[in-house]
Amino acid sequence: MGSFDLKIISKYFDLPEAKDVDYYVQHGGYAAARKAVRMDPATILGEVKASNLRGRGGAGFPTGIKWGFVPQGSQTVYLVVNADESEPGTFKDRHILFWNPHMLIEGMIIAARSLGVRNAYVYMRGEMLREYPVLQKALDQAYDKGFLGERCFGSDMALDITIYRGAGAYICGEETALLSSLEGGRGWPRLKPPFPAVKGLWGQPTIVNNVETIANLPWILENGGQAFADLGVGRSGGLRIVSVCGHVNKPGVYELPLTVTGRELIEDVCGGIRGGRKVKGVIPGGVSMPLLTADELDVPFEFDALQNDERIREVEVQPGVKFDLGGGRTLRTMAGSGGVVVMDDQTDMVSACWRILHFFADESCGQCTPCREGTGWLTKVVKRIDRGHGRPGDVELAASIADGIAGNTICALGDAAAWPTLAFLTKFRDEFEAKIRSSTFVAQQRAAAEQGAP
Amino acid sequence: MTAKQLSPEIEARIQQLWPRFPPQNAAKALCIPVLYLAQQQFGMVDDEVVDLVAKRLDLPAAHVRGTATFYTMFNKKAVGRFHLQICTNIGCQITGAYGVFDRCKKRLAVDNHGTTEDGNVTLSEVECLAACGFGPVAQIAERGKPDIPLYFENLDLERIDQILDALAEGRVPTELGS
Ligand SMILES: Cc1cc2nc3c(=O)[nH]c(=O)nc-3n(C[C@H](O)[C@H](O)[C@H](O)COP(=O)(O)O)c2cc1C
Ligand code: SF4
Ligand code: FES
Repeated sequence: MGSFDLKIISKYFDLPEAKDVDYYVQHGGYAAARKAVRMDPATILGEVKASNLRGRGGAGFPTGIKWGFVPQGSQTVYLVVNADESEPGTFKDRHILFWNPHMLIEGMIIAARSLGVRNAYVYMRGEMLREYPVLQKALDQAYDKGFLGERCFGSDMALDITIYRGAGAYICGEETALLSSLEGGRGWPRLKPPFPAVKGLWGQPTIVNNVETIANLPWILENGGQAFADLGVGRSGGLRIVSVCGHVNKPGVYELPLTVTGRELIEDVCGGIRGGRKVKGVIPGGVSMPLLTADELDVPFEFDALQNDERIREVEVQPGVKFDLGGGRTLRTMAGSGGVVVMDDQTDMVSACWRILHFFADESCGQCTPCREGTGWLTKVVKRIDRGHGRPGDVELAASIADGIAGNTICALGDAAAWPTLAFLTKFRDEFEAKIRSSTFVAQQRAAAEQGAP
Repeated sequence: MTAKQLSPEIEARIQQLWPRFPPQNAAKALCIPVLYLAQQQFGMVDDEVVDLVAKRLDLPAAHVRGTATFYTMFNKKAVGRFHLQICTNIGCQITGAYGVFDRCKKRLAVDNHGTTEDGNVTLSEVECLAACGFGPVAQIAERGKPDIPLYFENLDLERIDQILDALAEGRVPTELGS
């Protein structure tokens, strides 16, 4: 695969010089933005649409289509880059921000031109203590060079970019919660519609895009949307950045063609499983996404394939009863945030499931009852199974709680807790049941029954 | 006791950020940045700090308090001189974070969110720090000092012992960070 060698965003990873604006410019940087500020906004939008760029923040929504939702003739439009990366298992945006801040800034200038944006923000996760000064310095340099400010590259386009730092709340990665937070309050999600592209920050049309999504724009403008589309497969253009963690020999952040399968990712890219062990489960895109078993890894880690490939088992509510995503659609998994978590054959799947649930219960903002109550209850049930106090029927109970959360909440955090739980229960049910069979609760029941027996 | 006052640095930052927001929305938008800076100055965000920020930005104290309590990075009560924060989320859990965390609990003789008797270290379990490939991972904050822009990665019992030793000596082991 020749395109394995192509690097778009990752070409500056591990290259400290690239943080400097002069180095970046000498190597062709900001040429696309310089061109963009004098281009017709509609032409840029056309390229982005043709590129088949899909959002890298989790949902994989086509970027050009999203931009097209901004009402014609809007006076004030905001651009907000989602740099809140906090989906467990995901560490690619932080890597981009640290190694390649100028490519993000350049992408923002291009997006701002197309969307008619005067003020753009980067909502940066508060815990990114190392990345914040790097991006701030890159911004200062871009201002000094006249790339930003009143007259970008000497044109009549004005653009200010401001970093807004979060303060510790996973939910602020959800775009409407992010906007609530940026307005200066609790990070509470809002009901959609209206979508932010129509009514977002301070009630104005707002485009929220992920760091990686935006950082792809300079390449698209330079090489054309069609070239980007050609790099991808089907309805997904370009390459994809994944972060791989867990029990592999070479964890890290990799930019790869969308045709790479889970098995190739683990074996060829990440040097296989540590200690010569075998793989047991793989989360393909952050902990919100249903995990895959060892025999489901020959599917490309691409948006549509992970959703539709029949080699991936459908998630069930009970054995034989498929989970309904709505409208009769079933759930396999999704590409999500690109955060790949690889678990070897020694991993305790019940413990892993509990830790994921513990996270969601803690991070629920508490606005909707199914999410607030459901995640807490679910965590309690799975925890007691994990700690050896499970009761007969707990697997069914957990599945029914999860099913009751899914689809019944304001934002997708509810689904994010329910889906992976159902996948663990569908694919590793025997581990949960084995823990229940050997639990103290079952032992006490048995002892009581024996005592009571004549 | 002299009343608390926001530092001149915070004033300067407010002046700098204000024009970046629409005039009618700026005060509210500055709530989180100012709370963050105030916490660096005072070590925590208690009622007094909330009132101070509310007064400066001319916002209802209830709004500022509600905002402060929503975010985990705002400490509602005093933390130790060092705040040791260890991720135990999935990527770190499966590479041994709970072993590392238990070692900290034992050596410091505290529970999660507890502070050592001498007030030197507060220990907290935190969620994914987006450094999962190199887990278990920790971050350290020192009261009254600027952010420490380092991640302490690939922790095992030996490395966490070195970190705890350094904190006991009153310094952040920056040589162990990346
Ligand atoms: C609970 C939750 C957390 C999210 N966290 C993030 C995040 O940390 N970063 C991100 O880019 N998108 C996150 N998203 C997705 C955003 O809501 C939004 O779809 C995305 O930023 C849009 O950008 P894109 O189209 O470029 O992907 C999250 C969504 C949910 C429901
Ligand atoms: S689903 Fe959960 S996180 Fe989302 S709005 Fe409802 S309570 Fe808040
Ligand atoms: S899981 Fe620990 S840093 Fe991501």
